[in-house]
Amino acid sequence: MTIPADLKYTKDHEWVRIEGDTATFGVTDHAQEALGDIVFVELPEAGRSMAIGDAFAVVESVKAVSDVYAPIASEVIEGNEELESTPEKVNEDPYGEGWIVKVKVTDSDTSNLMDAAAYQTFLDEA
Amino acid sequence: MNESNATLAKTPLFDEHIRLGGKMVPFAGFEMPVQYPLGALKEYQAVRDGEAGIFDISHMGQVRVTGRDALAFLQQVTTNDVSKLVDGQVQYSALLNDRGTFIDDITTYRIDENSYYLCINAANRHKDLAHLLKHAANFDVSVSDESDETVLLALQGKKSQQLLQGITESDLESIGYYRFTVTTIHGAKTIISRTGYTGEDGFEIYLPNSAASAVWRSLENAGAIPIGLAARDMLRTEMGYALYGHEISDDVTPVEAKLMWITKLEKNDFLGRSAVQARRALGAQKRLVGLKLTGRGIPREQYKILADGKEVGEVTSGMHSPLAGCGVAIGYVEPEYAEVGELSIEIRGKAVPAERTKTPFVRSNVRK
Repeated sequence: MTIPADLKYTKDHEWVRIEGDTATFGVTDHAQEALGDIVFVELPEAGRSMAIGDAFAVVESVKAVSDVYAPIASEVIEGNEELESTPEKVNEDPYGEGWIVKVKVTDSDTSNLMDAAAYQTFLDEA
Repeated sequence: MNESNATLAKTPLFDEHIRLGGKMVPFAGFEMPVQYPLGALKEYQAVRDGEAGIFDISHMGQVRVTGRDALAFLQQVTTNDVSKLVDGQVQYSALLNDRGTFIDDITTYRIDENSYYLCINAANRHKDLAHLLKHAANFDVSVSDESDETVLLALQGKKSQQLLQGITESDLESIGYYRFTVTTIHGAKTIISRTGYTGEDGFEIYLPNSAASAVWRSLENAGAIPIGLAARDMLRTEMGYALYGHEISDDVTPVEAKLMWITKLEKNDFLGRSAVQARRALGAQKRLVGLKLTGRGIPREQYKILADGKEVGEVTSGMHSPLAGCGVAIGYVEPEYAEVGELSIEIRGKAVPAERTKTPFVRSNVRK
């Protein structure tokens, strides 16, 4: 199970990479493994504004439909349109080519997020 | 998951599934592998792409019907015409109640004129047995539930015959579609039928519990790929095959479920016949259709089917079909929408357009 040290995490198994006033969201290695083979990703429209915890995307595996929730308050710049034809990238490379959305950060509050060590502990205790 | 693990039954192959890393889930009262580490999609692909997949479907039930009145009894309790069967032939059929709706869908194996073997759905086992025993009282037959003593494996995919031939002396080439032979594998008495639920060539193999692990391992060592429930459901949905609890239930008759081809009204009187005749005369209350999404999305069970801005039906099974390259669904619609009118499927509040299509959604490779 990979948990990169430079990312922040949510209890719903999203990751966020914050770079200045922009950020990238995706789902964690743990999430993709629990979901199984992902066969469909529904992306949000550019410009959509999101509060912490808003369901902004949907990933569907063979058997399950799961919402993806915003880790920080933000506005969508773009969804990863590659996932529309190759949703399996979420399984193959969840922190890389499997990213789901790039956003403009609208509120820098990250107090709800965990660092890698805390997320590891969270998974161990679950 | 509503079923607590403590109350779940295990098949005799449970330890094999654990050894293989199967992800176990509750299903029809059993703990069954939903997938193995290979993953549902690759398991599905292995079966479609010409490998041989091996499935533990021992949760299904088996009932032996023997006696002088075996044929007369089965003509009374099943919908299909059992008199058309010859020794070594299998028939898809159903048990109906007096309202003409489904108690179960089954397969009937004719061993000889006084001996038949039924394969029934796991979830319906006790209901089926009670029904069969009740009606058997009027006939000179013995009805015995052999489910607990029997393991059922499915071996499906183009390589199935080659792999299975390696462990049996019976000439598999001579077994036609929906035919079977009674033989031995590893010294254990077995029934091998050329049947399945995937749309690929293959076999179903009935074994005593004691032989289960040895036969499973022989086939696995020969290259058969273990397949879980998720891939099994993909394979059957893509073929448009009905599944009890989804397309068929005690709410629908064969008229709605497009199963009049296994309901032989002309054979003799049988349980449910007059109700089916009445329903046919009145017309189906709803009709089963195959749908392909022309927009993006995956149709799922219970999603609404829409026409003219209103709900006209419901999806009973749906999936993303890797072969069709789109979402496909089976569902019931109001009769007036079975053939005409623009349909769509509501996915998360949006109407995604769909077109009616014949099933199977993809080409069947069963050997007819």
